[in-house]
Amino acid sequence: MDQQILIVPVLLPILAGILMIIFKPKNKTYSPILIEGIVLLNSIIVWTIILTGMGRGDGATLFRLTYDLSVYFKLDGAGMVFAGLVSFLWPLATLYSFEYMEHGEHIRSFFSLYTMTYGVTLGIAMAGNLVTLYVFYEMLTLVTFPLVLHDRTREARRASRMYLYYSIGGAACAFMGLVFVLVGGTTTDFTLGGVFKNGVAGFDNNILLAMYVLAFFGFGVKAAICPVQKWLPAASVAPTPVTALLHAVAVVKSGAFAILRLTYYCYGADFLRGTWAHYLVSAFVMITIIYGSTMAVKEIHFKKRLAYSTISNVSYILLGAVMMSPLGLVAALSHLIFHAFMKICSFFAAGAVMHKANRNYVYELDGLGLKMPVTFACFAASALCLMGVPPFSGFISKWNIVQAALGEGGVLGICAVVVLLYSALMTSIYMLTVVVRAYIPPKGTDLSANEGVTDPGWKMLVPLVIFVIVFTAMGIYSRPITDSLSMIAAG
Amino acid sequence: MNLMQGNILLLILILWPICTSIIGYILGTRSKTARDIWADAVCLSEFAVMAGLLIRAFGGGDTLYLDIDGVCGLGIHLMADGFRCVYGTVAALMWACAAVFSREYFTQYRNRNRFYMFFLMTFGATMGVFLSADLFTAFIFFEIMSFTSFVWVAHDETEEAMSAAYTYLAVAIIGGLVTLMGLFMLYDMLGTLTLSQIPSEIEKIRNTWPKPYITEYGGAITPSRLYLVGGLTAFGFAVKAGVWPMHIWLPKAHPVAPASSSALLSGILTKSGIFGIIAITCNMFAQDIPWGRTILILGAVTMFTGALLAMFSVNLKRTLACSSMSQIGFIMTGTGMYPILSEIAKEESVMAAHGTVLHMINHSLIKLVLFMAAGVIFMNIHKLDLNEIRGYGRKKPLLKICFAIGALSISGIPFTSGYVSKTLLHEAIALGKEASIISRGMGLTGLLSVIEWVFLISGGMTLSYMLKLFIAIFVEKNTDERLQEEYDSQRPYMRTESVLSIVIPAGIMLLMGLGPNMIMGRTATLCEGFWFAGSGTADQLVIHFYSWESISGALISITIGLFLYVFVIRGTYINEGRILSVFLAEHSLFIRSDNEGRNVYVNMWPKFLDLEELIYRPLLLKILPGILGFVSALISQIMDSFIVIMRRTIHRQKATRVDTGSMDDHLAVVTGRLLDRYIPKKDKTSYIPGLVMREEQGARTQRLISSSLSFGLILVSIGLIMVLIYTLAAT
Repeated sequence: MDQQILIVPVLLPILAGILMIIFKPKNKTYSPILIEGIVLLNSIIVWTIILTGMGRGDGATLFRLTYDLSVYFKLDGAGMVFAGLVSFLWPLATLYSFEYMEHGEHIRSFFSLYTMTYGVTLGIAMAGNLVTLYVFYEMLTLVTFPLVLHDRTREARRASRMYLYYSIGGAACAFMGLVFVLVGGTTTDFTLGGVFKNGVAGFDNNILLAMYVLAFFGFGVKAAICPVQKWLPAASVAPTPVTALLHAVAVVKSGAFAILRLTYYCYGADFLRGTWAHYLVSAFVMITIIYGSTMAVKEIHFKKRLAYSTISNVSYILLGAVMMSPLGLVAALSHLIFHAFMKICSFFAAGAVMHKANRNYVYELDGLGLKMPVTFACFAASALCLMGVPPFSGFISKWNIVQAALGEGGVLGICAVVVLLYSALMTSIYMLTVVVRAYIPPKGTDLSANEGVTDPGWKMLVPLVIFVIVFTAMGIYSRPITDSLSMIAAG
Repeated sequence: MNLMQGNILLLILILWPICTSIIGYILGTRSKTARDIWADAVCLSEFAVMAGLLIRAFGGGDTLYLDIDGVCGLGIHLMADGFRCVYGTVAALMWACAAVFSREYFTQYRNRNRFYMFFLMTFGATMGVFLSADLFTAFIFFEIMSFTSFVWVAHDETEEAMSAAYTYLAVAIIGGLVTLMGLFMLYDMLGTLTLSQIPSEIEKIRNTWPKPYITEYGGAITPSRLYLVGGLTAFGFAVKAGVWPMHIWLPKAHPVAPASSSALLSGILTKSGIFGIIAITCNMFAQDIPWGRTILILGAVTMFTGALLAMFSVNLKRTLACSSMSQIGFIMTGTGMYPILSEIAKEESVMAAHGTVLHMINHSLIKLVLFMAAGVIFMNIHKLDLNEIRGYGRKKPLLKICFAIGALSISGIPFTSGYVSKTLLHEAIALGKEASIISRGMGLTGLLSVIEWVFLISGGMTLSYMLKLFIAIFVEKNTDERLQEEYDSQRPYMRTESVLSIVIPAGIMLLMGLGPNMIMGRTATLCEGFWFAGSGTADQLVIHFYSWESISGALISITIGLFLYVFVIRGTYINEGRILSVFLAEHSLFIRSDNEGRNVYVNMWPKFLDLEELIYRPLLLKILPGILGFVSALISQIMDSFIVIMRRTIHRQKATRVDTGSMDDHLAVVTGRLLDRYIPKKDKTSYIPGLVMREEQGARTQRLISSSLSFGLILVSIGLIMVLIYTLAAT
């Protein structure tokens, strides 16, 4: 029963987190080495499972709700991508948090919840059927909610309340979609190509499509699709490690990942292609891209600007996804990976600026590029990557998305290309204005406030530099990744 | 797996400047002299290798290739055929001259390390563009080049420089993005971006026309789609070349950039844009008249607008920048003539090819010399306004001669290199006109007649504004006599290495002009391979440059130019007796008397016609984000207003007490008392206030969670109920 090992990486961080809450240590918090050790150990387990191929099997059942309805884990290709991504980023983000949170309050609860989230996110990645996915999806809301509330300020309370309303409301919609997969399909297990091969006897296809749309927006809450995106910019009041890892990777990507599962593994791309539901969700995805990039240009709060950028970029993933073709799945997964690296990098750079220089707004960044050379070099690289400038990896995923869109042909493809063009232009505006300001301040600016600002310590710099190296390397030599993604998409 | 195939030298040519730029930066933090010498050495070594490759190509050596698969998505593909060798050598020569010249020019500048780093990086990227064998590789290096050269423009960090730099960056980014979209669609259409494979694929598509060509995926390629794709792809390159109406960055960026960078910006970076346009034209539209016509018209407008703006300007470098724009128009005309001639008079198309290539090379060298001459003036007196620098060059023969060579050549005066290329271009148009009378109706003939006249008039305008510059700087005296004395006594005004860096390209230019068929003819023949990829080779070209037909065109231009200068620019200034003052009774438009009765050049720069302020900026920064921002703001309110409505109506919460202290704190008070009694604190303070605070905090959090949770649960229940109702109804 070596399949049971799949349960370990999910439960280990959750249990560790719970224990950390229950047992109070002598000091203010547990030693960083212990926490980092647990996270690292877990990541090693995940990567071992992926690399040795141990996960290729029937999966491991955690418990059964009814005879044919169980919470069980199974690691297929798409799950491997997401699990591998999350477990790569988590130890680095934890390392970063140690320095960022060193003066903060409620550190113990922060780290215990942060660690628990790790397990929950892996649960989503490894979920073998829609029920499991749904369970962990709800859990994700509950464990990340206190993290948004972390600062206990008025703003934080407002943001966390909004987050909760949106997420739970969304989950309710998603639940309806789930029920229909359960009733209409033969199984809720994820099967590439979907369970509704030729429609379902006894159900009108339009009802199924309506349920798909409902579930799409339900899961879309976490992926921040218009019109249910507003919680994300508000949630940037949370500490940077939370906004960076959770709101740029774990949470929003869980939403996008759930949509991928729903689209390609439950309803099935062939079932959806060309229907009104297909066009409806595509339209909303495109609106979201335009919305995110336009608002990012207008936003002057540094982290909120990045949050808006996340909104538009997560919809890039979905734009790939809604092409409803294997090529689209490849595009979506590649942007899921690359965007995680570049966005977490830019968020961490923003966090470093907040931590060391205490600047929150874009117009306060004048001349900081020379004071914090490494941080801003990393930020500049991630900016170029977000814009999709070759040879960075953002270019590769954008290339894939457009190829998928054009392969689709017709009006949808052309619209997608135009939307991407507009968004790329806006991306360059909202990212480069920051970079240029930081490096070449307008003449006559008073730079005396910058005295004494330096790069942060190694705990913050190491993750930043690693991210830059990774996304540059993946851009320069992307063939292994795109090849394996194509294999996943082909089944 | 074998990643690389071919000759690694090509990759080294690109990576060498890029890698050494960082070494240069590190060196620069230790010793400035070492860094300067290092930069010179890098450029010169690169030039030596490129010159070696060029000589090898002249000797009939085979073409070098390098394919690196899998890198950057589609892989990097480089090659060094005749044209690429020629242009690589020109680029390396220009960079070497500019590097040497920069040593003196930058003596008083800040941030020199930064400049040199990006100087060398751009060098590598530019070599990448000129050595690329497919459009994808060209695009990658093109983008890198755009970003690194941004730093040049911004170098001074003044308000003007920053504004110009932003414009430059914005235009480059927009152009790059549009080109990228074009490439996406092109790849989708053809399945390849390698230049040598494009013609055959295009041929397949064209053969099925007028019925649309059906691709493997089921997409249909109609002629309009092909033009759209070609146009999008060419857009970014055209922007970089400074083609109207996307020329806006050119007159802004050149005057503010340091001299050596303006020389490169106008001499070589614009040519990388032309490189792309030519590559697209002769591989995708080799015999396509509508495409050629569009390029031709754009070229003519660019040519004329540039020349007009140059006449209006009184800033030395801005005049030169506008002149660049105008010359790009000449080159575009040649590029546009190529597909037209290929279709209607195949054997003559070589004329257009030769003219274009030679004018590119000429213009590169001319602008190198002229901008560096402007740099000499600027580094000595830090002024560029014609009225202020007037008379600066009167007693400086060397500078005068170099400037004169450049000015004569760019005006197309016989026995200069510019004459050769302009004659070829003119011949191409004239031949096209003749051939079109036979094969095509009056439409094309009429167009070509108009283009021919625009060509000649623009040539004349070139002469007139170059005369204006030359006479103002090198012949006239400054209105301030003391200043004139100061100018005349300035000596030495440049160091030996700077002299060399100007004299050598001027000398090359002189040589080229004296033996047109010797050097220029052979060079142009060498470049043919790049052009005829799409349509086979052409016959050997023999031109009698000094026959009456050839020279008459130049004479018309010269006459127009002299006429314009004497009557329009100088107006009454020369003619005190009002004998010839036909245009304006009292003054010329261009020269007026100021309050003290001195004649000054008037700045005629048409500010109100600035396309950037008039159209682009409002459109991009106000209208587009404004509308979309408004829509976005509306969208973002939808969900919130839904929640608010729900909370106000069916989910109304009971009014809760929020004020602290009003809550029941019994638990905290009781435990506090007990604790105080049995385990008192050391400082005798009470536990109660702390506990009360905690309890209240806990209570608030709890209430928040429970109320939100209940709200969420209600939504879940609604969902469940709806499912239930449906299942009941359905069964």
